[in-house]
Amino acid sequence: MDVLRLKKGHDIVLAGQPEKRLVDAGKPARLKIRPADFRGIKPKLMVKEGDHVRTGSPVMYSKTFPDVYVTAPGSGRIINIVIGERRVVKEIVIDLDRAETFEEFERFDEQAVTSLSPEKIQSQLLRSGLWPVIRQRPFSSVADPASKPKAVFVSATPTAPFTPDSDFILDQDATGFQMGLSILKRLSGSPVHLVAGTKTSNQVVTEAKDVVFHRFNGPHPAGNVGIHIHHIAPIRNRDDIVWYVALQDVLRIGRLFLRGKLPVEKIVTLGGESLEKQHYARIRHGMMLKDILRGNRIGGESRLISGDVLTGRMSAPEDALGFYHDTVSVIAQNTRRDFFGWLKPGRHSYSTTNLFLSKLFKNRSTTIDTRLHGSQRVIIPFGNIESVLPMDLLPTFLIKMIIARDIDEMEKLGIYECDPEDFALCSFVDASKMEIAEIIREGLEYVEKNG
Amino acid sequence: MKGIRSFLDRLEPHVMSGGKWERYAPLYEMVDTIFYVPGTTTAVAPHIRDAVDMKRSMFTVIIALLPALFFGIYNTGYQADPSGGFLQHVLTGGAAVLPMILVSYTVGGLWEMLFAVVRRHDINEGFLVTGILFPMTLPPDMPLWMVAAGISFGVVIGKEVTGGTGYNVFNPALVARAFVFFAYPAEMTGDPVWSLAGELTAATPLAVASAVQDGDAGLLVSQAGYSFRDMFLGFVPGSVGGTSKLAVIAGAIVLVVTRIANWRIIAGGLIGLIAAAVSANMLAPASGNTMLSLSPINHLLAGGFAFGLVFMATDPVSAAQTDRGRWIYGVLIGVLCVMIRVLNQAFAEGIMLAILLGNAFAPMIDYFVLRRHIARRRVAYEKQ
Repeated sequence: MDVLRLKKGHDIVLAGQPEKRLVDAGKPARLKIRPADFRGIKPKLMVKEGDHVRTGSPVMYSKTFPDVYVTAPGSGRIINIVIGERRVVKEIVIDLDRAETFEEFERFDEQAVTSLSPEKIQSQLLRSGLWPVIRQRPFSSVADPASKPKAVFVSATPTAPFTPDSDFILDQDATGFQMGLSILKRLSGSPVHLVAGTKTSNQVVTEAKDVVFHRFNGPHPAGNVGIHIHHIAPIRNRDDIVWYVALQDVLRIGRLFLRGKLPVEKIVTLGGESLEKQHYARIRHGMMLKDILRGNRIGGESRLISGDVLTGRMSAPEDALGFYHDTVSVIAQNTRRDFFGWLKPGRHSYSTTNLFLSKLFKNRSTTIDTRLHGSQRVIIPFGNIESVLPMDLLPTFLIKMIIARDIDEMEKLGIYECDPEDFALCSFVDASKMEIAEIIREGLEYVEKNG
Repeated sequence: MKGIRSFLDRLEPHVMSGGKWERYAPLYEMVDTIFYVPGTTTAVAPHIRDAVDMKRSMFTVIIALLPALFFGIYNTGYQADPSGGFLQHVLTGGAAVLPMILVSYTVGGLWEMLFAVVRRHDINEGFLVTGILFPMTLPPDMPLWMVAAGISFGVVIGKEVTGGTGYNVFNPALVARAFVFFAYPAEMTGDPVWSLAGELTAATPLAVASAVQDGDAGLLVSQAGYSFRDMFLGFVPGSVGGTSKLAVIAGAIVLVVTRIANWRIIAGGLIGLIAAAVSANMLAPASGNTMLSLSPINHLLAGGFAFGLVFMATDPVSAAQTDRGRWIYGVLIGVLCVMIRVLNQAFAEGIMLAILLGNAFAPMIDYFVLRRHIARRRVAYEKQ
């Protein structure tokens, strides 16, 4: 097996790495659904306050694709529907029952799956509300059920800070993984690319059937699906569709078909120096961060992030963990201003560049917090951005074309292959403190709307 | 230190939008962030950021320039009166060079601030580099008012009219130098300008080589008393910062190790210069042009090629901005420098015009590199 080695990128050395110890987060009293998590879905509510839902009951559907439902991650009463500005549904709160009741879906054994028709698979996924785990590139939105992808990608090698180790998750319980992969293969009728790291050793990954197996090696973002797609099946244009599914969601797809119930468990990591204890936690979908972190003290002034520090969302303790997130990060928040900080030798300044003394010590005694460390300036192409993007793209020019809103040039320079998460490190290293990942997001939204 | 902070904090409400000195916000931002790194936190993902910023990056260029500057000060004194002691050299040199730098920073800085206030953009740290680079490319006895005129032209026409730092086509310090070069030729060319002592004519090595027809350039240079050692160390007349190749190499190491300068441009420039000089040497027997016979080593050691290539051609904004383009751009500058030195006897020193021409071609080089890149992507797409 060939390994694709990528040199560009950077693994951020962050204190507060989660220990490989799984803790059960316990049973929450309430769950929340956040419609904004589902990019590409225009929500239309199917419940009202006071309604009772079972696990797997539809809560809303998408006005754009009426077959796509979002279903309840637990059984209970809808006690609150929070409406924001312009009548946007911000969250749906479910007060959980003592005893959980489930919507029933069809059950299949391992053998039966091989003869299932794609239509049957699709309808089960849509009805159960598990369809939104399948997302598509370009634009990283929930997959259009009518779309025909040329490939499906599953990454078993997340490289972002604190993200859960695939081997560890599969060692806990790999039930449904192979089934999920086979289902994706039958559903899409296209190759399923399973990408592992060089260290990935769990046999359900290394000996998986119905997949094209790859190994990627390199610093972050080598584990991002966007990078895998770029090197294996690059997206040519806006109609050239690729699907991708997260590793734990493959498990869920398999388990849905095996058990006939909507699986709502997931394993997440709790990371960051500001946390008292850093470890893996078994939680259920829709849990609020404060429930996930119960019994875990947060020290000092800090920022709570649903997701990893590079791509996550700043959150309050009452917010639910994002639908696609499998990391809770808590990092120090700081607004201290260093006197002549830019003149200091920089023993404690975290940097990927060779401009600080800390480089000689491999950033070991540095601390990192939420500060920008500088003021925003215009683009000066020092090459920092290029050094962390393992893609055959010209990011500086692409960014200029996005700012100029030139769709034609954006397309030629490969905007469809881009996703903000792959450019997060570019924002991280940029000396001009430009929000590069945000610019990519704006570019994609502009092209999606006007292209 | 508390005093500065509390003074700045008291001032802050007045320069924020709606305050009475709102227009001067860029000036406040400059002073405020020089003293204190901003304490702003990230508003969107990624939530953490690298410690690098524009101040640190530009300041590194200043550090890289220091060896050349210190040696330039010493050498200015040394060239004025080689018999004096070290202290005398430094004092004489300092008295000539430091006022030039002061004038360049003050006058250029005022323009920079004026434009920042009128055009409502922040003051960019790039000026820290422009303001010191320009005087270092001048002969040491330049009248100060010409320094002021030069830097004004460089900042205003070279940079601000096209939108300020980051949008300039040409390197502003070189635009300033080109301006004084063409506007006040008497002060910039000819033999006497390179030394402080007016009555002493000090022809630069390149001027020596280009002065005679049908000669052997290398011989002429060494006969004039310019050994390779002196030219390498910098004990020759020339512009303030550009004589010592040793100091330039020290600066180049700083810039390349920190990746502030792209090594491809420097490597390309060296390759271009050597290739062009070797070709010129081959043509030499067929022509009466003495300069054709100047060896690549002499080309490298004489004049400001090394200084210009390391500190000015590598300006990331006015250079080509693709890796492949940077190679082409570097080679082009090396070749052009030799061509101008050799073929145009009016300009004994070719690097300034070579870099400016390189700047002019950089966007076109990038354009073609970009088209190639797009074509290659299309092929890759079709292959899948």
